[in-house]
Amino acid sequence: MAVALIGNPNVGKSSVLNRLCGSSIFVSNYPGTSVEVTKTKFNVVNRDVDIYDTPGIYSLHSPGEEQRVVKEMLKSEDIELILNIVDATNLERNLVLTYELLELGIPVVVVVNQIDRARVMGIKIDPRKMRSLLHSPVILFSAVSGEGLVQLIRVLESGDFAAQIDKPGMGKKVAVDLSLSGRYGERGKGYVIPTETSINEADLERAKKARDTAKFVTTQMKAGQKIWLERIQNILDHPVIGVVLLLFFAYLGFLLLLKSIELSEGPISTVLEPVNRLIGHLISEILPSGIVSSVLSKAVPEGLIIPFTIIMPAMLMVSLLMSILEDTGLLPRYSVALERAGSFFGVSGQAVIPLSLGFGCRTPAILATRIMPSEAERFIVITLLSIVIPCAATLGIMASVVSTFEAYLPVIVLTMLATLTILGFILSRIMPGESVFVYELPPLRLPMWSNVWSKVKVRFSGFFTEVLPLLLLMNIIIRALMESGLLNIFHDMENFTRFLFGIPAEAFVAVLITIFQRYLAPLVLLNLPLTPREATIAITMIALSLPCLPVMVMTVREIGLKGLIKVLIMAFSTSFAVGIILNCILPF
Amino acid sequence: MTLRDMKVGQKAKIIKIDKGSYAQRRLFEIGLVPGAEVKLLSRHPFRGPLVLQIGNAKIAVGRGIAASVKIELLEN
Ligand SMILES: Nc1nc2c(ncn2[C@@H]2O[C@H](COP(=O)(O)OP(=O)(O)OP(=O)(O)O)[C@@H](O)[C@H]2O)c(=O)[nH]1
Ligand SMILES: [Mg+2]
Repeated sequence: MAVALIGNPNVGKSSVLNRLCGSSIFVSNYPGTSVEVTKTKFNVVNRDVDIYDTPGIYSLHSPGEEQRVVKEMLKSEDIELILNIVDATNLERNLVLTYELLELGIPVVVVVNQIDRARVMGIKIDPRKMRSLLHSPVILFSAVSGEGLVQLIRVLESGDFAAQIDKPGMGKKVAVDLSLSGRYGERGKGYVIPTETSINEADLERAKKARDTAKFVTTQMKAGQKIWLERIQNILDHPVIGVVLLLFFAYLGFLLLLKSIELSEGPISTVLEPVNRLIGHLISEILPSGIVSSVLSKAVPEGLIIPFTIIMPAMLMVSLLMSILEDTGLLPRYSVALERAGSFFGVSGQAVIPLSLGFGCRTPAILATRIMPSEAERFIVITLLSIVIPCAATLGIMASVVSTFEAYLPVIVLTMLATLTILGFILSRIMPGESVFVYELPPLRLPMWSNVWSKVKVRFSGFFTEVLPLLLLMNIIIRALMESGLLNIFHDMENFTRFLFGIPAEAFVAVLITIFQRYLAPLVLLNLPLTPREATIAITMIALSLPCLPVMVMTVREIGLKGLIKVLIMAFSTSFAVGIILNCILPF
Repeated sequence: MTLRDMKVGQKAKIIKIDKGSYAQRRLFEIGLVPGAEVKLLSRHPFRGPLVLQIGNAKIAVGRGIAASVKIELLEN
């Protein structure tokens, strides 16, 4: 048996599913959190039900990636019931999709979510009246309080969904045209490009029905007194004060990140030092003496220092800040505040969301570019993500290179900003397109700490499963290469790299290592004797270089091999150009 | 008159949208349909986006697209 959750963006589909199944799908307070269909198993009276969470959509008939995956799911899976999640505070718009879903002939149960918030706003909804108009069961629900859960489970238990539908003839599957090209002419890569006038009579009729239904079933009581959250929201949404505050918060977050690394480094080192001595001692005791033992006994303890003292606090802090930004609803407010800045890069305000997710990890950020409204904008954001945005692990290890070699931090930061600007400018010229900025601002909410915590856990777990093992392995490889003298084979390149970029051959090898994983590259530098000038050039080239392997895989999946090749060519040219230019202008 | 000419605090009814079908669709899905009522909440400086209230939702739209939405002011 298969059930699908379908509804507008940010109404709480994933929250309803998490509440129902105890799953832990990412929930955030902005439209476009889920961009893929996720299957969860749910057991009800000894039957397994597959429940699909889907990306939020406003209409089945719109073009776009989210609509495509939802329609594909409806076509390929045998969906027996649609749980249409609607936002109680915004029925008029939500019901347009409901009426579209009712036409599919699949039984629909309407789950009126966020009923808790609606009550606070003085909105009363009559589920009986609503049922009489929609001819489908209606459940008042709150994913936060759990209201309506029992009713929902009862519906799932009953099994015979068609019987729940009042209207004769409904509930039997009729052939529905969900053809992906449908009324929208040709299909571009992944996107359906509408060719005819997009809104037709049927659309307008559904909009009217939705408006009438919403009016009929809701009573607007006198709204209670303004809650303080709403007052803060009014200040934050002020076009001038709000923007200044948002920029100040961003600065504060950055400062907090740096301070937390600085403050935690001492205590962590104190704990780590005796542990490391023990590990080194154990390795040289256990392994027979020889090159393996001497390499490992040095490389392993050494390889633990940077991950634990710098990268761990950086990743923790970034995960925490990101989760707070997402859950409060501040993130989409940055989209609006930075809309003008974005138009310079040829992208609309939504770009803020994937770009800032990239500071956590760039791989899921590439997936999040699906919220961009056009293929051209999507490519621009993927390119900027791949080349310019450093993830938390990279930021941490870059910071340690800067402090080890006394590299010129302002030069590095300015170069990165200049590159972002120039790259954006060029991209917006070669991929022109009018940006259509239409974006729903979610209400400001207090973050639910349980949710923040579970997201921090998921994001941070990457430290132990990926970052730490990879960095440790890399450190061992570098040590082994150095002790064995194998790194010398690159010496032939020395003249070339010194002439072009002013850096030794080994540092150039580090730049190339970014192909595998960007945060591994600075580790090579830490093992080399570099001058501040060399370190500055090398680390900037690393900071502005190739997308790492996981990002490349994701990019191919999302925009195809051709797209990736374009990104790679741009990445190589950017990195090399930056190296050459810095080599020319930096004084010795 | 278009959305872009509205003053902050004014309410209006949408008459028609003069824009390509893609933009029309985007506006339609978010509730900017002929017949719908909107209120202008704020306009961001430097020709930034406008923030509208439609029902209980806050919607931000770019100026370019706002200029293509024909409206009729409503008396308060
Ligand atoms: N007050 C209240 N907030 C809710 C409720 N359900 C969800 N939320 C909040 O609404 C926001 C969106 O929830 P999600 O579950 O991510 O919504 P979604 O529909 O999956 O969103 P997309 O994946 O972006 O389409 C989150 O901040 C939730 O905490 C509810 O019943 N009451
Ligand atoms: Mg979701």
